Amino acid sequence: MQVNGVRSAAIVQKRGGGITEMERAMTLSLRESVHLISDPKSLDASVEEVFQLMLGVNSQRYSGPVEIVEPESVTAVVGFGGLLSGACVFRSGASAAILIAQHMTGMEFDEVDDTVKDGIGEICNMLAGAWKGKVPDLAANTGLSVPAVITGRDYNLHVQAPEFKLHHTYHFDNATFEVTIICDGLQ
Amino acid sequence: MSEVRTLIVDDSSVMRKIVERSLRQAGLDPLVVFEAGSGTEGLDMLKNQQVDLILSDINMPSMDGLEFLRQIRSQNLAPGVPVVMITTESSEEHVKQAILSGAQGYIRKPFTAEQVKERVLPLLNAA
Repeated sequence: MQVNGVRSAAIVQKRGGGITEMERAMTLSLRESVHLISDPKSLDASVEEVFQLMLGVNSQRYSGPVEIVEPESVTAVVGFGGLLSGACVFRSGASAAILIAQHMTGMEFDEVDDTVKDGIGEICNMLAGAWKGKVPDLAANTGLSVPAVITGRDYNLHVQAPEFKLHHTYHFDNATFEVTIICDGLQ
Repeated sequence: MSEVRTLIVDDSSVMRKIVERSLRQAGLDPLVVFEAGSGTEGLDMLKNQQVDLILSDINMPSMDGLEFLRQIRSQNLAPGVPVVMITTESSEEHVKQAILSGAQGYIRKPFTAEQVKERVLPLLNAA
């Protein structure tokens, strides 16, 4: 069963308008883990792991001023639901997306076609899973939505007042991409 | 090794290709692959094809991998055929759910060909 596109197995049920003992324990536990959840190193380690294992490349965090200047960009979003709600967002220019898909599949691409979009969606899915897997309470009690991929020109993503946000830029070869973790609620 | 007929169920065509490549790298050769983009498609395929191994994603739209697995068991499709779940979900609870639903193995994404080999070959040898 899905609720708002997110697996409900991980979603804690409210009973009689109050919270259960289990929920209270989980809430306390997750609140106590906020330092782990918002630790930038967790995201860096997740990106490194996914790119090393699935693409065979070493991605590195880039802290200089970077802006994706290509007119066409690719954005993948995987939602979190359950004790933590929010999203993992991957964004790159078209050429980086194509390069990533080439590394994943061993195929050549001239444009951002359905296979490239599919590959970028899966990368975002694995990043979201790897990131939440770093914190035991999140791994067990937060579900993932299926990926949504957006392509186009001249668009911005806006998130209103998240509880916390991690936004990092990485690169490998000549490709640059951004990964953002947005937490808009901790139950 | 004799021909290994394998059903790969994943809504991502890229992941199906990656799983197939990993199986080949793991030494499964000759390998005959059947691909399904959903649990429903996978069930239809099992009604018409005999397979030696099933690898399925969990997080899929419409019918997820766990429901696909329950349907295989309840409809007695592919009896005795090992099923390995491949997913980004890796908590103990998810592993337990998969095993209770009838999975024999579990591979967490991202994975290496070596991990696929370690999980799949013993199951094929035991089958």
